[in-house]
Amino acid sequence: MTDVFAQLGHGFAVAATPINLFFCLVGAICGTLIGVLPGLGPVATISLLLPATYALSPVSAIIMLAGIYYGAQYGGSTTAILVNIPGESTSVVTAIDGYKMAQQGRASEALAIAAIGSFIAGCIGTVVIALLGPPLALMTQQFASPDYFSLMVLGLVSAVVLANGSAFRAIAMIFLGLLLGMVGMDLNTGEARMTFGLVELSDGINFVALVMGLFGVAEVISNLEGTSVRIVNKMRIGTIWPSFSALRGAWGAVLRGTALGTLFGILPGGGATIASFSAYALEKRVAKDRSRFGNGAIEGVAGPESANNAAAQTSFVPLLTMGIPTSATMALMVGALTLHGIAPGPMIISRQPDLFWGLIASMFLGNAMLVIINLPMIGIWVRLLAVPYRLLYLVIVVVCAIGVYSVNNSSFDVYMTVGFSLLGYVLRKLDAEPAPLLMGFVLGPMVEENFRRSLITSHGDPMVFLQRPISLALILISAALLISIMMPTVRQRRVEVFQE
Amino acid sequence: MMRIAAAILSAGMALSATAASAQEWPSKTIKLVVPYAPGGYTDSVARITARYLEKELGQTVIVDNRAGGGGIVGSDLVAKSPGDGYTLCICSVGAISVAPVAQTTSYDPVKSFKPVSVVSTIPQTVIVNPSLPINTMQDLVAYAKANPGKLSYGSSGAGGLMHYSVQLFDARNGTKMTHVPFKGGSPATAAVVSGEVNLSFTNMTDALPQMEANKVRALAVTSAKRNEFAPQLPTVSETVTPGYSVESWNGLMAPASTPDPIIAKLSDVLKKMAADPEVKKSMAVVGASTVFTTPDEYKAQIAAEVEQWRELLKEIAEKKN
Repeated sequence: MTDVFAQLGHGFAVAATPINLFFCLVGAICGTLIGVLPGLGPVATISLLLPATYALSPVSAIIMLAGIYYGAQYGGSTTAILVNIPGESTSVVTAIDGYKMAQQGRASEALAIAAIGSFIAGCIGTVVIALLGPPLALMTQQFASPDYFSLMVLGLVSAVVLANGSAFRAIAMIFLGLLLGMVGMDLNTGEARMTFGLVELSDGINFVALVMGLFGVAEVISNLEGTSVRIVNKMRIGTIWPSFSALRGAWGAVLRGTALGTLFGILPGGGATIASFSAYALEKRVAKDRSRFGNGAIEGVAGPESANNAAAQTSFVPLLTMGIPTSATMALMVGALTLHGIAPGPMIISRQPDLFWGLIASMFLGNAMLVIINLPMIGIWVRLLAVPYRLLYLVIVVVCAIGVYSVNNSSFDVYMTVGFSLLGYVLRKLDAEPAPLLMGFVLGPMVEENFRRSLITSHGDPMVFLQRPISLALILISAALLISIMMPTVRQRRVEVFQE
Repeated sequence: MMRIAAAILSAGMALSATAASAQEWPSKTIKLVVPYAPGGYTDSVARITARYLEKELGQTVIVDNRAGGGGIVGSDLVAKSPGDGYTLCICSVGAISVAPVAQTTSYDPVKSFKPVSVVSTIPQTVIVNPSLPINTMQDLVAYAKANPGKLSYGSSGAGGLMHYSVQLFDARNGTKMTHVPFKGGSPATAAVVSGEVNLSFTNMTDALPQMEANKVRALAVTSAKRNEFAPQLPTVSETVTPGYSVESWNGLMAPASTPDPIIAKLSDVLKKMAADPEVKKSMAVVGASTVFTTPDEYKAQIAAEVEQWRELLKEIAEKKN
């Protein structure tokens, strides 16, 4: 253990050199900016900035690129809270209660708790990497397809909890999401499914196009409907610091979100997004008064925001300890390292101690910088809402379009956004919430992939899901959750909760 | 009549225009399309190539990632782009030699492009989980024959090179292994490490770090010759399957209508690049060998590969019936 601290000390010596501090700051600022801009994500930004890092040392380069990634998690909540447009997929659920808080004049409180929660989660996540990185990576090796399948099933069951309206509509939305998730190439046969012969759809529907359409542009359309003056103009700015009672209420949510995020971040496949969704679902489950959710509950912001930031830190674990990237952004980090002459792999910690410990130390420094950058910005962001909506919406639509285009450099994705914004508008009119739809969309393909892979490796024996202890435990939890939703007494309460 | 004359006239003007532009090419920014996501192996090769082209041609070369459909979307885009030398592609074997045979693509691997040169090659490495009692290729064939369908192999997806190379291996050796597709080569390699699948024919890039850490056992390389980065490994061809050769390549290609003088100029630059020690060093980090071929050699190679996979598919289909 003292060994770890000695090495971490060495890491701080590396990270605290003026040049590395500078690039850490550049990364944090870039990250915050792209996080705030809807649709423009870390993947597009990092691939754009990659050539600019050729001249840097590998350590400085990776410190900056990592800063962009976790910085984006800080910035992503800003537009979600202020204008109900998630800047990143991980902030989708933040919008549910964050935007309500803003409408109640508590925008500063929401933004502050998002920043503080992110800071605490980021620091804890980094400690976890430093102390437990390698053993945790070994633990994820215990996860095989059947375990992932059962985990995703648990995710789908808890997606019902996400909804604030009727459970029936929530389930319908989950299924619509599953259906949209089916589009694309069938992994096992290579056949195209529901693509209408369009090659652009062969990799499935672009997630960012879906989010920007359902949330971003649909929100703009319904705001422009009629001549109603937007509520934002009447909003109070309020004090930046959340009240003591608010902090006390959010404290548990921050810690629970951090725990979930730390865990999910390590697992492959969109960890941060799933972490934020399940953190929201968990907060709603443990809350004494569930009716507050969807009406500006501070835990609904604190939980998911802490979860996505913790996941952003721990998603580096598989990359740094085994050389295995778990997301598109991490694949880009592998590319960045190889272009700098370092092949990431299981030997990276012993061969490149400067890089590993320097990066970890820089994450502490970067998180501190981010909270310092973000807290004073809150006042500025909130004032931005005073801009007349007829001007603001133009900026929002243009930025959304640029963001969607930047993901795959594809104008087809922009047309898709147009289509999904119409769908989003119709769903709004039907009082159907898009968040469970997204959960189905994200989890559906993973459920299918892991289910089919489990059956291939078990030679068709479905008992494999009950024979593995991890999978069995997850299935039992899902079953218990499902029963608690179905049980008449509970249902009575649910009706009260949902139909207020 | 007038219309035809006008068409001929304008076509002539267009021709002279391209001839003139070939003279002063390149006079503006060149777009180098990568049909895969940023960060992958092909992306790295493209960025190394872009850096070198930029230096030699004195023009900005931007890397444009157009991922989708296992490289089909980006390759298709290049095939349909104007052949003015300002849209080029770092294409790869998967979308050029395999996909048009395995699926329907709107481009023809031989007719829709003018290949310039193969830039880099990388063999696949046969890796197995170390807990298996398989230490050589002979062991692998014997084990697979004794337990038909029991060994499972991970691939980057159905119809990809990692899938077809094992299909070819099975067909030549009379073995049968179970295919387990993943979303990309990297998770498939990770599954061999964790033991979820037994083996995989994995790109050298993904295999090398795991081999060094003894997380997997490497048995052979799939290329015709031994590889410079793992010279201790025999080839599949010299051990159990004479004549077996599967190699992943990345190469520079242009739309079919690109004028020959531009191709010739590019070919000269790439010939120099293949000898450049800096480039060789950067490629080595990715596990790739730097290569040069003439446009004609390259074209013949693609035609031969397409033929090989077409034959294999026919063979598999006949066996099923």
